[in-house]
Amino acid sequence: MIKAILVFNNHGKPRLSKFYQFYPEDLQHQIIRETFHLVSKRDDSVCNFLEGGTLIGGSDYKLIYRHYATLYFVFCVDSSESELGILDLIQVFVETLDKCFENVCELDLIFHVDKVHYILSELVMGGMVLETNMTEIITRIEEQNKLEKQESRENLFGVLHRVGGNAGIYGKTNDPELDSIQGHESHSSIFLPKGVRL
Amino acid sequence: MPTVKGDGMRGLAVFISDIRNCKSKEAEIKRINKELANIRSKFKGDKTLDGYQKKKYVCKLLFIFLLGHDIDFGHMEAVNLLSSNKYTEKQIGYLFISVLVGASNELMKLVIQSIKNDLTSRNPTHINLALHCMANIGSREMADAVGSDIPKLLVSGDTIDSVKQSAGLTLLRLLRASPDMIPIGEWTSRIIHLLNDQHMGVVTSATSLIEALVRKNPEEYKGCVSLAVSRLSRIVTSSYTDLQDYTYYFVPAPWLSVKLLRLLQNYPPPEDPSVRTRLTECLETILNKAQEPPKSKKVQHSNAKNAVLFEAINLIIHMDSDPNLLVRACNQLGQFLQHKETNLRYLALESMCLLATSEFSHEAVKKHQDTVITALKTERDVSVRQRAVDLLYAMCDRSNAEEIVGEMLEYLESADYSIREEMVLKVAILAEKYAVDYTWYVDVILNLIRIAGDYVSEEVWYRVIQIVINRDDVQGYAAKTVFEALQAPACHENMVKVGGYILGEFGNLIAGDPRSSPLVQFQLLHSKYHLCSPNTRGLLLSTYIKFINLFPEIKTSIQEVLGSDNNLRNPDVELQQRCIEYLQLSTVASSDVLATVLEEMPPFPERESSILAKLKKKKPTAAPEGETKEKEHRAIPQAQINSSETSAAPPAASTTITLGGSSAAGGGTVDLLGLEPTPPAPSAAVSSGLNFLVDVFGDQPSSTTNGFDSTFGSGSGGLTPGAEENYKKFICKQNGVLFENDLLQIGIKSEYRQNLARVGVFFGNKTTFQFTNFVSDLVLPGNLSSALSVQPKPVDPTVDGGAQVQQLFNIECKDEFSEAPLLNISFTYSGKVQRLCLKLPVIINKFLEAAEMNSEAFFTRWKALSLPEQECQKIFKAQYPQDTEQVKQKILGFGLSILLGIDPNPDNFVSSGVLHTRNQQVGCLVRLEPNKQMQMYRLTIRSTKPSISQALGALLETQF
Repeated sequence: MIKAILVFNNHGKPRLSKFYQFYPEDLQHQIIRETFHLVSKRDDSVCNFLEGGTLIGGSDYKLIYRHYATLYFVFCVDSSESELGILDLIQVFVETLDKCFENVCELDLIFHVDKVHYILSELVMGGMVLETNMTEIITRIEEQNKLEKQESRENLFGVLHRVGGNAGIYGKTNDPELDSIQGHESHSSIFLPKGVRL
Repeated sequence: MPTVKGDGMRGLAVFISDIRNCKSKEAEIKRINKELANIRSKFKGDKTLDGYQKKKYVCKLLFIFLLGHDIDFGHMEAVNLLSSNKYTEKQIGYLFISVLVGASNELMKLVIQSIKNDLTSRNPTHINLALHCMANIGSREMADAVGSDIPKLLVSGDTIDSVKQSAGLTLLRLLRASPDMIPIGEWTSRIIHLLNDQHMGVVTSATSLIEALVRKNPEEYKGCVSLAVSRLSRIVTSSYTDLQDYTYYFVPAPWLSVKLLRLLQNYPPPEDPSVRTRLTECLETILNKAQEPPKSKKVQHSNAKNAVLFEAINLIIHMDSDPNLLVRACNQLGQFLQHKETNLRYLALESMCLLATSEFSHEAVKKHQDTVITALKTERDVSVRQRAVDLLYAMCDRSNAEEIVGEMLEYLESADYSIREEMVLKVAILAEKYAVDYTWYVDVILNLIRIAGDYVSEEVWYRVIQIVINRDDVQGYAAKTVFEALQAPACHENMVKVGGYILGEFGNLIAGDPRSSPLVQFQLLHSKYHLCSPNTRGLLLSTYIKFINLFPEIKTSIQEVLGSDNNLRNPDVELQQRCIEYLQLSTVASSDVLATVLEEMPPFPERESSILAKLKKKKPTAAPEGETKEKEHRAIPQAQINSSETSAAPPAASTTITLGGSSAAGGGTVDLLGLEPTPPAPSAAVSSGLNFLVDVFGDQPSSTTNGFDSTFGSGSGGLTPGAEENYKKFICKQNGVLFENDLLQIGIKSEYRQNLARVGVFFGNKTTFQFTNFVSDLVLPGNLSSALSVQPKPVDPTVDGGAQVQQLFNIECKDEFSEAPLLNISFTYSGKVQRLCLKLPVIINKFLEAAEMNSEAFFTRWKALSLPEQECQKIFKAQYPQDTEQVKQKILGFGLSILLGIDPNPDNFVSSGVLHTRNQQVGCLVRLEPNKQMQMYRLTIRSTKPSISQALGALLETQF
């Protein structure tokens, strides 16, 4: 079983955390910190499996992770999972994100935490692998998007809330501050693991 | 190409960019607090918020939570969103709840109500949202409220695939949360047949579900084996175009293949020959594919392919029946050992560890010894090196022990801190187990201390001393070696302890050489004295008094040291007393008395001292004359032990205190004579070392609770309900759950090697609150303290909510026993003290080691054990289905071998094993004859010791 899925950047800033077992909030934050500490000091050339986290599952527990340019994707699993299988699952997750966000970058994860959760929930459910077929996953996400578009159109016509419409979150804004963010963090596809083409 | 980012919430985006522009942590907190206040006021305001606004605020809260801030409101608004009929609002409501609301939250009732409504919705997307939420939270209440609807959803023909898929995993989660609440029996066959479903996603989720069900009830789900094999076969033999979207980088359905292979690892090899052949074909195909050139250079391709391959190898190892496949698996892993991918090397080492335990492949694994040693030395990754250590340990036997131990010692010098302690134990165990020549053993342990002194635990150095005492042939060598080791300018304190002890006993054996004359020995030891802790100093003082006996010629130099101001007025009361006492002893006693008091240690199985010690503690008057006085004064040191119980005084110290106490209070020669039965000093300290340790720990509850007796009484009498049944379940297995209630789960993991055991007890706090004053004590009732020696590690007094703590016991079986050690657990939970008393499943059969023999050997031994009292026969009714495989598993789990081709009737089971205790090894032969018509068994056990035949008979009788 997958106990938790954590995504954080090279500085340990959490970008996604999903626990499939209940932990109190403070412990969740502690686990993220501990995991970052364990994973970040490892060289990129070493293996992708790691034991030694104390907070999650006692002794029957492994961290399986991949490091992409600015982000770590870490799955905390017990011994009932295949290590390489999970490693591939991380890849499927990232490739799906990449397709859904069109060249995904860290900013997408920051501004769309909810969407990232929805995509993840098409892959993993209650700590078990739900679907691994990327085409199927993307079809389901598309269906969700359709529903959302439909509902937001209703919203527009009903209550005029969102004057800005679909201007895009960081596409073209009138907000100079927002534009400056894009300067800081490059938009180029940061998800490619070093030396690996998708 | 779908894009999900087109449609965001502007307010949210602005807030996030504000946060990101904050220059300092303070500014960020300020901005967040402002936002929280804003949201709070919106939620509390008069104006009703529409769904969109609620959605936006809830989303902001999620973001704030991810940054590491606590969110203590908004839950109600999220629950409100659940009843919205807009998909996106419902969706974010469920998201918030599964991220932020625990199963124990009071809002859960409302959540469950919404889930109920959504489950009956005609809109499958709503059903799926509800299922996802349940699968993520998975509480008992949910299982109770809607659990029984899920199986219907799962197998119904009307359900669409995506819902079926989710329903499978939801059911799995609910069954985990509440195994007994959902009646599932009537669905068994339809669930199994989901393995034939058209939709691969449904099959994937069903396989996970079935595997969990199989673990609980393998018999009922046996039908899944043939279905799983045929499904697997269809995947494996398909070309990668057949499965289209489920083909991942040219590998057909890798995840499903892995899951199916895992599922099959819950069963023995299929009995049906056609199924078995088909499975063998699958496994062969997978192994063949590994040799084909890769279809893609991408790492994903090789990952997916190898994920399947490794799982196939695990299945081959699990079945452990086809030598041909096992050898192929071993060769394949051998290739991976030198692969350029670190991941593959890691996994190969891991799988090979399993392979080393199979008799078919143990030799084949040994061929890779050099590669593994190279891995240990050259791998850059500690995870991989750790695996290499494990594998070396697993592949070690008498033929290669010397080399492997040597390599491990060499590596230890540069090993990572995180794995040193484990390595030290492994080296010590291997060195002892495979020692032919005990001088080698002594060298190994001294090297261990030299290289990794800090990681050498007490049991290791106690053990070397026990062995040296018991074997005359190494005593001189040991004395010489420690003397040399002590000459190093800086040596570890553990070395000083061992050195002090051994020279005190056997220094005379090397005193003839002028380079190690008595005075040189004494000066060498004394040069370390000032650098040592009080415990070690106490031990050295005892060595000095022993020297006075061994070497009267240096008496004055020693008396000078004993009488020095520094010692006589030492602030450490133990040392002071010891010095005064020893000085007195050396002055007053005649050389005859000295020689008797300070005699060489008797050989080790010296159980009496610990019983005597206990006796003396409990009933002073019952002790022989000479000891009466000592007992009277024990009160003082006892108090000291108790007051300093936090540091769990090691045996040496505790005995020391006793000695000190007696002379300080009583003084004079009578006392000194009275010391005799517990000879002063290192001897007594370490001789009964392990036993004393038990005693010391046995005392501990008396200081924490009121009186040892009451704790003990409640312990033996008041077993917690259910403890007995759970204990029995462990007769044939090593790991599992020993106890569980609403607050606490206690799991056991144990490892046995001959007469040594390592038992880990895992305490899991199931609540969200902390347990305080957590104490777990092991009590050895009755004579058990003389049969087992236990080294408990203390456990943290607090256990946080949701956390798990481990307590480790190192146990040595000294003699046969029948009772179980008792584990007394107490802790405070929400102000109330909770107490549990459980039997720790350390059972005599755990120290059995399976033995293989041919039919001739078996019958010779069987006939040799023909005395009526050596045999124990039981005839009893079967309690469980008489399934050959299960019986086999139980016999193997019990610790016996399965010997084939010995009994003319193939239905009968013939087994043998060797029971290891420190004092003796007892061979046991067992025959079990099932009578399927009558549903009866006849069990016959023969061993050299009648009591052991009886004990094993009583245990085995309950298992079938």
